[in-house]
Amino acid sequence: MAPRLVVTGASGYIGARLVARALAHGCEVVALGSKPARSTVATVPWRLGEPPRLTAFVGATAVIHLAHDWASDRLNGDGPGNANMVGAELLARTMREAGVPRFIFASTTSARPQALNAYGRIKHATEERLRALPRSDGRILVARIGLVYGGPERAQYGLMTQLARLPVLPMIALDREVQPIHLDEVCDGLLRLALDPPAGRSPVVLAGAAPVTFGNWLRLMRRARHGRRVALVPMPLGLALAGCAVTKAIPFLPTVERERVLGLAGAAPMASAADLAALGIVPRDPARALADCRPARRRLIAECAAMLRYAAGAPVRSPGAVIRLARVVRDDPAFCTALPAALRRWPALMRLFEPIRPSMTHGLSRRLHLAAMVVESLAGAQAAPRPGAAAVLRELLLEAVALPFRLVLGRVYS
Amino acid sequence: MSAAYDAEFIVVGSGPAGVSAALPLVEAGRRVLMIDGAQPSPLPSTDAGRPSWQRMLGAELAALRPDDGLSPKLRTPVALDVVGGFRRWAEVSEDKFFAAGAMARGGLSQVWGGFVSEFDQDDLRGWPFGADELAPSYRAVGERIGISGSTDDDMADFYGNAAPVQPAPPIGPTADAILQRYARRKPREDFALGLARNAMLTADRGGRLGCDLSLACLWGCTRGAIYDARQDLAALQRHANFAIRDGLTAMRLAPALHGWEVETAPGGPPLRAQRLLLAAGTLGTLRLVVPLLKVGKTVLRLLNSPLMAMPLLVTRRLGQPPATRGYSLAQLGFRFRYAPAPGDYVTGGIYETVALPPSSFAARLPLGRRAATTVFRALAPAIAIATVYFPGRCSANLVTVDLTGGAVRLGLRGDVSDDFDATASLVRRRLNRIWHGLGARPLPGATIAVAGTDAHFGGLFPMGLDAAQGTSRFGELNSAPGVYLVDGALLPTIPSKFTTFTIMANADRIGRHLAGAA
Repeated sequence: MAPRLVVTGASGYIGARLVARALAHGCEVVALGSKPARSTVATVPWRLGEPPRLTAFVGATAVIHLAHDWASDRLNGDGPGNANMVGAELLARTMREAGVPRFIFASTTSARPQALNAYGRIKHATEERLRALPRSDGRILVARIGLVYGGPERAQYGLMTQLARLPVLPMIALDREVQPIHLDEVCDGLLRLALDPPAGRSPVVLAGAAPVTFGNWLRLMRRARHGRRVALVPMPLGLALAGCAVTKAIPFLPTVERERVLGLAGAAPMASAADLAALGIVPRDPARALADCRPARRRLIAECAAMLRYAAGAPVRSPGAVIRLARVVRDDPAFCTALPAALRRWPALMRLFEPIRPSMTHGLSRRLHLAAMVVESLAGAQAAPRPGAAAVLRELLLEAVALPFRLVLGRVYS
Repeated sequence: MSAAYDAEFIVVGSGPAGVSAALPLVEAGRRVLMIDGAQPSPLPSTDAGRPSWQRMLGAELAALRPDDGLSPKLRTPVALDVVGGFRRWAEVSEDKFFAAGAMARGGLSQVWGGFVSEFDQDDLRGWPFGADELAPSYRAVGERIGISGSTDDDMADFYGNAAPVQPAPPIGPTADAILQRYARRKPREDFALGLARNAMLTADRGGRLGCDLSLACLWGCTRGAIYDARQDLAALQRHANFAIRDGLTAMRLAPALHGWEVETAPGGPPLRAQRLLLAAGTLGTLRLVVPLLKVGKTVLRLLNSPLMAMPLLVTRRLGQPPATRGYSLAQLGFRFRYAPAPGDYVTGGIYETVALPPSSFAARLPLGRRAATTVFRALAPAIAIATVYFPGRCSANLVTVDLTGGAVRLGLRGDVSDDFDATASLVRRRLNRIWHGLGARPLPGATIAVAGTDAHFGGLFPMGLDAAQGTSRFGELNSAPGVYLVDGALLPTIPSKFTTFTIMANADRIGRHLAGAA
């Protein structure tokens, strides 16, 4: 029989992906609360803080509790009336009555009694209340989740992808260390905890094993997604909190939650390597995973088409050629050239940016070399008409005109 | 013969030396087992239907991965596969040296340039036998592989006349312009030019088709016109007393009762024979032989032919249409004597560039990419490349061997002799003058290649050397009787001439000797 999982928060950023992966894994899923979009999973209506119906848990292998009520945080703070704490405890008690073997609680790497943000304090208090339940050992597992990225641009990740669009970014906590982890890795970790938990590990830390400073993370995101640099302007916390209030007041600005700002400001890394290994998670390279998004792919294709056009001296009407070049450029360790839009539009301008000293190992000259090889490998390339004296003269003239530009602009992509 | 043996002879390696040694043995009815680290790979004739980008870049785009500045010949997908596999196995460290070897069916012959020349009495100075002893083998091997060229021009005698020669294919217009100028000028003692002599069929023979001038040599001849040891392997496999074990890499050789044992990887069975013939390619054989020398640490000398490439502009060809048919092996061959001593000459080939990828030339021009490509493509019909090979004694490479702790650690350090720089600049200057006289203007950008890219190796375990690392006149290792070397590792000296044909003839000679021996 397929294992049955009860999931709360199934329509959220993590929940929706978790449900999809659980189904793909051959699990049966019951969503407790609201239904994940475009999903056909059985849904049992429920609100965090209410006692759930016992029937929802029949035959379940585990409950994965992802739901979080932000409204209650704002209303009750970390006081005893917070629906998140009460709700989690109610859920855990009910599932035990129903005889469900495991309860997985999604917590956070900011879960600390003195966390700056209420979220961290509330998650910590909830962990404590769950731990205090009788016979909770080995049945109630806590997963402390780091900074999740990847997948649909929602939640915290959605906010970060918006920030990554900005060329100049005033930001707090640039030197705080965060632990980015891919959404799929989080989901796989939670599924493993639910179905086949490694013995004696709770809480487990589902977070990147190598912490990076938040500033570097933002730089990486901007580079991978948009191929650009970002100017980060350090900002005092007080000003940022004031800014949060402003963004809320002005329409059409992305709102920045005060809670998220405080969460960042209080970030402190937790060791996770052993937990990830125990769960069998091999973290992917974030730079590559981040580049696997629509804007980055579109940019890559457009750049490769432009480079082929420049190298060939004429439009290259072979989608295969573009894809071959893109495959190699994507896998290149020195990935980012990120040509300005003008070069993509008018590839002939690349002449002005070519380094004076060509390098076969990196930069624009290497890309153009690869583009030239791809052009040559197309059927019929050999038979293309040879340039005459006029064409050579024209090229040499243009070369002379371009030379002073190359002396300056050639450094940009060398 | 006892059943404890897997064969009378085990041949390690399926390249030109291995098949040349095995053929006379098999034809004499001896039981031969060949082991080969590679899996069988189809001949390029099966490639004919593949899209051009796959042939030129590789299905996995291997040719587009980082360029280490090698010649276009070593940048093709096939070459990267052939040479790359070897470099992973041999685990040698390289210092100003390129460890050219092959872990591939047919060895380096999958990517060789096809140039053949016989060594004459002068070239064989310091060898324990003379030219007459090699002549029958040159003839036999030449008949087998198929050679084309000229038998009556200024280079014919220099290349030797023991082996039969088919008429040469028509040469390209650029090479032809140089050759015509050569025919009209006053002959000189120190320089000779003629048609190149290549292991390439111009007329169909057996299952191979003659060259159809399709200009696609670089990416593997789909007609089988260019010799490839896999063709001989197919002939060997028709004999019942021949067997080949694929994908078994020889790792260690150990003496066994009345014979030798080859330990193989990955996890293969040890194989036994009365005699071992090592044809793993000079550097591969080096790795297998070194543990038999029973030294902790030592240093060996390795010869190679330092290689210089000289771009030439044939001014008469400027503005002329490019050849639309042809081949990209050497079209012409030359010999230049730079000093009076018998071995003081350089040889090489002259190649047309129309069939070579413009990108590898454009990358070396001091222009932006667009201008460089345009200029090169416009000039290509008038550009020729001369390769110049220097005699082996101009090299001074060292192999450091460290066997302490049971592991084999080899370091290859490329170097040239003290007088090489002077010799090279003298040769360059004087050849430049000669090219000039032939209407071929030397272009800037002549370069000396990294040692080892020439893949002309020798001098490691010389025949006739009376020392532990020496071998007998039939290649039997002094320190390990029953182990025969049949590849480049045992050449006592190497002249400036291309070595492959001589390695094959010598392997044939050793094979015949062993076939006849009791």
